[in-house]
Amino acid sequence: MKFDALVVGGGIAGMESSLKLADMGYSVALVERQASVGGRMILLSKVFPTLDCASCISGPKMSSTVNHPNITTFTTSEVEGIRRQSDGTFAATVRQRAKYVDWSACTGCQDCEVACTVAVPDQFNYDLAARRAAYIAFPQAVPKKAVLERAGTSPCTDACPAGIKAHGYVALIRDGRYEEAFQLILEATPLVATLGRACYAPCEESCTRGDLEGTLPIRRLKRFVADWHYATYDGPGVEPAAPTGQRVAVVGSGPAGLTAAWQLARRGHAVTIFEAAHEPGGFLRYALPEYRLPRAAVDQDIANVTALGVEIVVDHPVDDVAGLRAAGYDAVVVATGTPLAQSLHIPGEQHAGVTSGLAFLRAVREGESWDLSGRTVVVVGGGNVAMDAARTARRLGAAVTVVYRRSRGEMPANHVEAEDAEQEGVSFAFLLAPAEVVADAAGHASAVRCQEMRLGPPDASGRRRPEAIPGAERVVACDLVISAIGLRPDGDAFAALSHDGSGALVADPTTLATALPGVFVAGDAVTGPSDITRAVGQGRRAAHMLDRWLRGEPLDGFHALDDRLAVVDHAAVLARQRTHSRRDPAVSGIDFSVTPHDFAELEPALTEVEALDGVSRCLDCGVCSECGACSRVCPADAIHLEQHDEMLDLEVDTVVVATGYELFDAYQKPEYGYGTFPNVITATEMDRLLAPTRPFNTVLRPSDGKVPERVAYVSCVGSRDRTVDNPLCSKICCMYSIKQHQLIMGALPLADVTTHYMDMRAAGKRYEEFFSQGKDMGATYIKGRVAKIEEKDNGDLRVFYEDIENGGRVVEAEYDLVVLSVGVRPNPDALHLFDEEDLAASEFRFVAEPAGDHSPGRTSIPGVYVAGASSGAKDIVDSIMHAGAAVAQAAATLEVAHPRRRVPLEVH
Amino acid sequence: MRERDRREVIRDEPLMHAPIRRELAGGPLTVPELAERLGRPPEEVLLWVMGMRRYRQVVEVPDSDDEGYFRYQLVASDEEVLA
Ligand SMILES: Cc1cc2nc3c(=O)[nH]c(=O)nc-3n(C[C@H](O)[C@H](O)[C@H](O)COP(=O)(O)OP(=O)(O)OC[C@H]3O[C@@H](n4cnc5c(N)ncnc54)[C@H](O)[C@@H]3O)c2cc1C
Ligand code: SF4
Ligand code: SF4
Repeated sequence: MKFDALVVGGGIAGMESSLKLADMGYSVALVERQASVGGRMILLSKVFPTLDCASCISGPKMSSTVNHPNITTFTTSEVEGIRRQSDGTFAATVRQRAKYVDWSACTGCQDCEVACTVAVPDQFNYDLAARRAAYIAFPQAVPKKAVLERAGTSPCTDACPAGIKAHGYVALIRDGRYEEAFQLILEATPLVATLGRACYAPCEESCTRGDLEGTLPIRRLKRFVADWHYATYDGPGVEPAAPTGQRVAVVGSGPAGLTAAWQLARRGHAVTIFEAAHEPGGFLRYALPEYRLPRAAVDQDIANVTALGVEIVVDHPVDDVAGLRAAGYDAVVVATGTPLAQSLHIPGEQHAGVTSGLAFLRAVREGESWDLSGRTVVVVGGGNVAMDAARTARRLGAAVTVVYRRSRGEMPANHVEAEDAEQEGVSFAFLLAPAEVVADAAGHASAVRCQEMRLGPPDASGRRRPEAIPGAERVVACDLVISAIGLRPDGDAFAALSHDGSGALVADPTTLATALPGVFVAGDAVTGPSDITRAVGQGRRAAHMLDRWLRGEPLDGFHALDDRLAVVDHAAVLARQRTHSRRDPAVSGIDFSVTPHDFAELEPALTEVEALDGVSRCLDCGVCSECGACSRVCPADAIHLEQHDEMLDLEVDTVVVATGYELFDAYQKPEYGYGTFPNVITATEMDRLLAPTRPFNTVLRPSDGKVPERVAYVSCVGSRDRTVDNPLCSKICCMYSIKQHQLIMGALPLADVTTHYMDMRAAGKRYEEFFSQGKDMGATYIKGRVAKIEEKDNGDLRVFYEDIENGGRVVEAEYDLVVLSVGVRPNPDALHLFDEEDLAASEFRFVAEPAGDHSPGRTSIPGVYVAGASSGAKDIVDSIMHAGAAVAQAAATLEVAHPRRRVPLEVH
Repeated sequence: MRERDRREVIRDEPLMHAPIRRELAGGPLTVPELAERLGRPPEEVLLWVMGMRRYRQVVEVPDSDDEGYFRYQLVASDEEVLA
């Protein structure tokens, strides 16, 4: 994109520069970091010395800027780098951060703000009050459009292989919106009760709160909303889309098949699930033990699917997918899981008394009566199936030893499962590999002869490879051997589909489409053994792609998993706060028994108090929780979470830097107690309290909402002060303080205002008169520095100051509220805008004007000008004048470079 | 003395909506009165009440600051007004 001029910063100086250049007929690109132009001025109450309303002056300029035909305004944008070309022009790279709102549709109605579940400090009120993650910058924002603040994907959400918005449902629960939380999970899968109990919860492993005193109970919160929904409503409360007239067959009713069917039915397709077993649910029903996942919970979840009209045909194994197409199904999803157990491949495996973990668990789930009291069971394997089999055998009365050929650290089982097994009295024998099942005279297994192992170097999986110790063997006596060393898909079940050496069906990993048109695969049948959440993610993906295939659309756009923002970094989240209070988790745990004897569900449900305590600990890592509340209420359908930042390349002939100033950080003067004593605030905060769009109903002190009667000002905080490396006068503090005194006395007629000052700098047109006006209204001015401030129990403040005019003694006074007139510091951004050379800085790190005396606004780089407070402290009048000086020179540069480029414009 | 980081306090606002609504259902209260009932520091309660005020869930009772503190009351929702 080509423009004559680039103006960086949309405060008063940047707007003035842009408007003047644009009025001269030049095309201007104005880049502003915030969501609105206006800079600091629009946040002010009134302006000195006229006491005109800041919005009344700034507002029209803001809208002229944004609506000027020669100005293109890029808000929420930042210059990443500017390069000066050999011909003297500039190439700039600008990052336009995604707003996640379509501004051409947004009407600025604020419904999204009201619905938003995340409260954060409002930077436009200098953190005095809250705003929402969905926000319109401030009431007079131009453009008045909403933006979502997103720092990235929250670690919990990022970790979920099912694409469930974990942070979203946590935030909805925190807002008391349990049903919306349930519905948010339903957007991913019907298996809410199931995942709330049996998911291995990678979200919790990733939770930032784990770096403090412990992770949130994210999984159990899911169960909390599932229990709540099922106790409150009949049916899922989801309306499917209008029927498409298309029929889809889903083969297999495990988590992948059920999720695919659910997603397809929601989109209006007629879905039939064909299931080989007698009841639907796959491993949920036939493998996971009742004590972890009660059958009733699985039934509740499956009822969601059938409620949408999905037909489940049981006892119906399918082997001919092409036949399904021929029978009238427009498309097929194969989600048959991993029904086959890996063989031990050792002698004696065929004996009676040897079974697979899968067969054992299924038999118990189907109600076969097994009495293992007084028996000894060896479970071979270190995975999750081995843990389930071992704990099930314990419940049937057996003494159980898990034999695993590597060590504890290499066990593939989820560590929680292994720890729970131990708590229930399961023994572990590590570094033992079964070599033979030994049988008794009746041909029944009586022992496992094992080879002792040691760990060698890591293998391809990164785990250390077990090696046999020559001659070292051990025999473990037993009555039953349960082999649980792995599961695999049944690749041979479908002649029409190809599979790899492990039996896994072959498909494109992103689209899950097979070589057969209209046939998709999902879940463990493709990936090999994984877990419920991964299978759910696969089911979602297959359904998404199949739906697009049916509509004749390209197989892409699976935003739920393929298009997430980068995950936010734990350290960055924790650094947003100066302190974190300790909030120990208050949730009831499991009462384990070393001799468990029944299959009743082990883990108690969270009580409402525990659930709310849990969600209160969330750190809102990604800021926006992706709860979707805003999208649901937006009447303009303007919210688009899938937007991305855009990089823009601009070519310009001149650059005006108008990035303004920063404020002195009052924390650097600990003797004044800013940040520690709530009633010590800065003057910028006071300007907000006095503004018509103030955050409180009037000026209130922050400790308790009292209307203050005794207000003190401390001037020159962080200015003229070598202890904080700033000997400069900030020029504006005296005048803005006097302005505020007058406004306070107007707003709070009973208030006394006292200023502790060094000397009053009133050099400017009508400034001295303004000072006199303050005194005449009754403000008190005491010459002398404040030494320190202390806080009383009731929040009042004791100020110790030097009274120069009365002999220089130290005096103590009490106030309700103390305002620090903080000074101005340079904005360091300005100096680093250019890639190959930094803009030269003045001694105090403002943008230098090497020829300042006769060419104000000219910088060290030819063709680059500086306007406003970027080059040093300035009030509004001076900023506007300085912008004029800078633009006149920028225009001269343009005129020399391209005399014919000017677009004639009628200036009124 | 400030007890908790302001961001942490503000983050609790959605969680505090229901308890604050419950307390204000009995009539308008000042920030210190609400704080006492909720057992939370008044500084935190002010942040929550002002957050709710911003989004039109509570409003001050006009001229109620004779004792130095305004009283705040619930704003009837559209449904409540229609009912
Ligand atoms: C408490 C207080 C009260 C005041 N009261 C008055 C008053 O009554 N009267 C008066 O005359 N003056 C007053 N001032 C001074 C006044 O605020 C400044 O003179 C004026 O805002 C300077 O304008 P500016 O455009 O140079 O900078 P700013 O207003 O700071 O604007 C700079 C803009 O640049 C943007 N920006 C920064 N870096 C980048 C980047 N890298 N890329 C893109 N955008 C960026 C910022 O977001 C901002 O919008 C007061 C100041 C304070 C602190
Ligand atoms: S709800 Fe929609 S239209 Fe209204 S402000 Fe938010 S994004 Fe804009
Ligand atoms: S703190 Fe909250 S947002 Fe962050 S990872 Fe944990 S649950 Fe998710």
